This record gives sequence, C-alpha cells and structure tokens, in this order.
Amino acid sequence: MAKPTFEQKLGRVGWLFVAPGLAFFALFSIYPILNALATSFFAKKLLSLKPPRFLGFDNYARVLTSPEFWNSVGATLIFAAGSFVPLVVLSLGFSAFISTRTRGRRALQLVLYSPAVLSSVVAALIWMLMFDPRGLANQFVNFLAQTPGTDRHWLSDAGMVQLATIIVYVWKYIGYFTILFITGIGKIPVSSYEAATIDGAGKWVQFWRITLPLLRPTTILVSIMAMLQCLKTFSTQYLFTQGGAPSDSINVITLGIYNTAMRDLNIGLASTMSILLFAFMMALTVIQMKTTKSGDTDE
Amino acid sequence: MSERRVRMSVPERVSDLVIWGVLGLACALVVLPLGFMATASFMEARQITSLPYPWVPSSFHWQNFALALAGGDGQYLFLRNIFNSVLVCTLVTLSTVALAALTGYGLAKFRFKGRNLVFLAIMGTMMIPFETIMIPLYMVVLGLNLQNTYAGLVVPFLLNAFGVFLMRQYLITFPDEILAAARIDGAGEGRIFARIVAANSGPAVATLAILTFRSQWDNLLWPLLVAQEEQMKTIPAYIVKFAAEKTADEGAMMAVAVIASLPILVLFFTLSKYFVGGSAVYSSGKE
Repeated sequence: MAKPTFEQKLGRVGWLFVAPGLAFFALFSIYPILNALATSFFAKKLLSLKPPRFLGFDNYARVLTSPEFWNSVGATLIFAAGSFVPLVVLSLGFSAFISTRTRGRRALQLVLYSPAVLSSVVAALIWMLMFDPRGLANQFVNFLAQTPGTDRHWLSDAGMVQLATIIVYVWKYIGYFTILFITGIGKIPVSSYEAATIDGAGKWVQFWRITLPLLRPTTILVSIMAMLQCLKTFSTQYLFTQGGAPSDSINVITLGIYNTAMRDLNIGLASTMSILLFAFMMALTVIQMKTTKSGDTDE
Repeated sequence: MSERRVRMSVPERVSDLVIWGVLGLACALVVLPLGFMATASFMEARQITSLPYPWVPSSFHWQNFALALAGGDGQYLFLRNIFNSVLVCTLVTLSTVALAALTGYGLAKFRFKGRNLVFLAIMGTMMIPFETIMIPLYMVVLGLNLQNTYAGLVVPFLLNAFGVFLMRQYLITFPDEILAAARIDGAGEGRIFARIVAANSGPAVATLAILTFRSQWDNLLWPLLVAQEEQMKTIPAYIVKFAAEKTADEGAMMAVAVIASLPILVLFFTLSKYFVGGSAVYSSGKE
C-alpha cells in the first residue's frame, strides 16, 4: 500500500472528528424513525412477552378508521390553525411597528420575548389560575364586555378550553416570532425605501409595497416554523387535562401518541400515529423548501 | 441625535402616538400574567381568588414558598427534582457543546470523501420531530434498563443537529493559516482543537449552551416517559403533579412557578443577546 499523502491523513482526522456526532445521529435519530416505521406494521404491546405479530397495514386501517384518532387530528388542526394565524399576523404587525421605532427597540423586544423563556408548563400553570372562574381572564373579559359576574367556563367548556390553550400558546411565542420578523425586516436594504420616500410614498404604502413583498422568504419560513411547532404542542394540553379540564377537545395528537403508548401500552398503534404525524410534518417542510426556492428564482 | 429631531407633521405625530399606544398595550398584556405569577406567589389563596384581583399582596405570605418546597406530602421532593433538572440540563448542555464543536469542526475544516453527504444527513435529522421518535427511544431506554436513571434522561439529547449547524457555520470562517501554522509547529490535531479552535469559539458556544439549557429546562415529555419514580422527576413533571393535586394551594402553585422560572429569567436578563441572537441564527439555519 502506498503511503497516504498529507491530504489523505487530514481527511482521516476529519472523519475522526465527525464520527462521534454521526454515530449519535444514526443511533438516536435515524434508527428510531426507521424503528417506528417498522413497528407500525406490527401488533406490539409494551411489557408484553409475546413476540410482535406482523399485521401489514392493519394498524394504519385501525388508526384511520378510529373516531378517537380523527378527533385528535381535529383538535390538533383547530389548535394549530387557531394559534398560527394570530401568531403570524400579530408578530408581523408588531415587528413592522417596532422597526419604525428609533428608541426603545431593544426593550420592546425583550419584553415581548420574556414569556418565551419560561417553561411551557409554567406558562400553562399561570394561565390555569387566570382561567379560574374567579380569575383574571373572566374579570378582564367582563370588564371589556361590561358583563360583571359572568363565568366564561374557560376550563370546563369544550370549545373554551380550546381557546384557552390557544391563548397560552400565542402569549408564549408571540415575542419569539416577532424577533424573527424583525431580523427579516433588518435584512431589507435601506435603499429600497429611499427611492419610495423620494417618490412620496407614505409608511403605509411602503409596508405593503416594499416590506411585505421583500419579506416573503421570512414570512414563509416563520409560517411553516410556527405551524410545525403548533402541531407538536403537548405541555399545555397535558397540564390542563391533568388539572381536570375536559380532554376530548384538546386531545392533540402528541397526547394521543403518549396515551396510546403509556396508558394503553399499544406500541404498534402509537408508532403508526407517530409515522402519520411525521409524514404530515415532512410534507409541510417540503412545501416550505419548494416555495422558498421558487421565491429565490423569481427575484 | 439632532437629525433625528426632524419636526413631524400632525398626521405623522398621530400615527407615532398610535404605534406607541399599540406597542405599549401589547407589552402590558404580555407582562400581565408574569405580574400575576409574581404577586400571587406572595398571597394567601383566598386573597388570590378575591374579586377584583388585588395585585398587591396584603402581607408577605412566605408559607407559599415553604409549601412549594415541602410539597403536599412534606417530602421535599421538589428540592430533589430541582437538583435533577439542574444536573440533567448541565450534562446535556456540556455534551451538546462538546459534540457539536467536534462535529462542526470536522465538517468545516477538513476535506474528506462523503463530507457533504454527512452534513446533509445530519441536517436532515432536523426534520425528524422528537415527538415522532420518542416511543422507539423509550424502547431503547427500556432495553438498556435505563429507566429512572440520569443516563436515561439525558441520552437522546446529548447532541442536536442545530448545534452542529451553528458550530459549522461559525468555524467555517476560522482562518486556515492559523491551523496550518500550528501543524507546522508540530501541534497534534487534538491539541489544535482544544487549545486553538475551542478556545476561540466563545460566542457560538455561549449561544448554543444557552439555547440548549433553556430548551432542556422546558422538557416535559421525555422525563414523563423515562422518570416515573418521584425521586427522578424533573421540575416540569413536578409542576404537573403539584398542580393536579385536588388540594393544591394556589399561592403555593405560583411559588412553584416562580422558583422554576427564576434561574432561567436571571439567565435571560443577563445574557439576553444570546437568546435573541440565537433565535435569529436558528431561523437563518432553516432558510
């Protein structure tokens, strides 16, 4: 064998640096997703000594015809759509406003961001007390609507508890997405606005004609990120149901996977649900990449 | 400053006031629940539920904090659970920073066959949400008999793809001449990494460490699966258990929330630029 050149030696050193990380991802990301895929075709119970039995697509048929699963899908989509729209619209609005400020910008960002550093469970706990029949949420709404003493049943009515989880989530993440938009707006060259100002376009026109079109990549990115994050929601719903809220309307899909595995001990079925969630999120990510790419070539 | 003081026309001044009004209102609404948490943690339960909410504690009801720490059963499990959270977050952070720096350095500064493929494969794992692989991971932990151990709690989080991305992007601009000079001087590759590369990665390491610590501090789902013994629970799981008790005292609940949030809020207000900068880097990574 020929003696390796200096370059080849360095290449081997490079492999040595990368190897531990690569092994980690192979073991703890790629193997589990393949394992979930395989398990989704088997009847497999947690803590059962029986060997898993091959079922083909039976788990999928069972999940896709189960009313409980579709209820979870519905709960997840209502939560995701209900959180995602206000999150994107409000954070875009706030970022546009904050970007016009010459003073106090940093303080505004820090204040809006502060709930995002709390744990999700803490956020949910604070709101759980505020949604108490005698809590601040009722007091606030009753003050605005001038309906003293009315209880809105935040944590006992099926529809209101959905709204309650959405409020917690929007409150927690609004600052995070605002900062992403501010970063995006900061990347728009000042020269784009100078021409418009000379032409006499006002701030309002500038926002719709310049900021929004040039912000398109950020908007798509933030939208998909917000959507993906909403689909994975767990903590708020878990705490609320443990605290005694009705579970059906907030039985989101991650909660369904958790309960199927840990309460029903049905690993095969839980894996099937995981794979369906994965496929859906993957599809969204692919759409994001496609739209961002086509956006680049347009310009 | 002086050119900023251009005189504003009347409509401009009105819109300026409106914008300040909207932003002020938004900030007030965002801060309000935090204010509720802080004030209610010092109140007796019956003051918290008095109408309207008083906002100012009538007396400093420190028993809330005593009860929060002691727990409903007086076992002081919260102290143990706080210790667990601190230990798990620290281990995860140290490991993530170390492994991400090694991997990122290897990808940024060495040429070898398959390098791009390795990078793409690692980035691809970002698309696998933890929620979809937690069950197989749990089976692995059961198989290795690691349930209710610290090893079981930390093992899926020892590294993440975002960390590799962050370190690679940071190190790709590291001057090659310095590495070449060190090699000519006869320094070994491990020594170069530890003494030159790692020693000069401060900002990237700080960002990654803070983001990792914070997200692990928030982790509920995995400890719920792996740590079913009370002794091995972490803070979020303790909070759920504490809040679900029918007899739970509302003041004590907010005291628990304050204790759980203090470390992370202190971190946030002292090192805010890394939090804010980190979310910006994160988004650029996904673009």
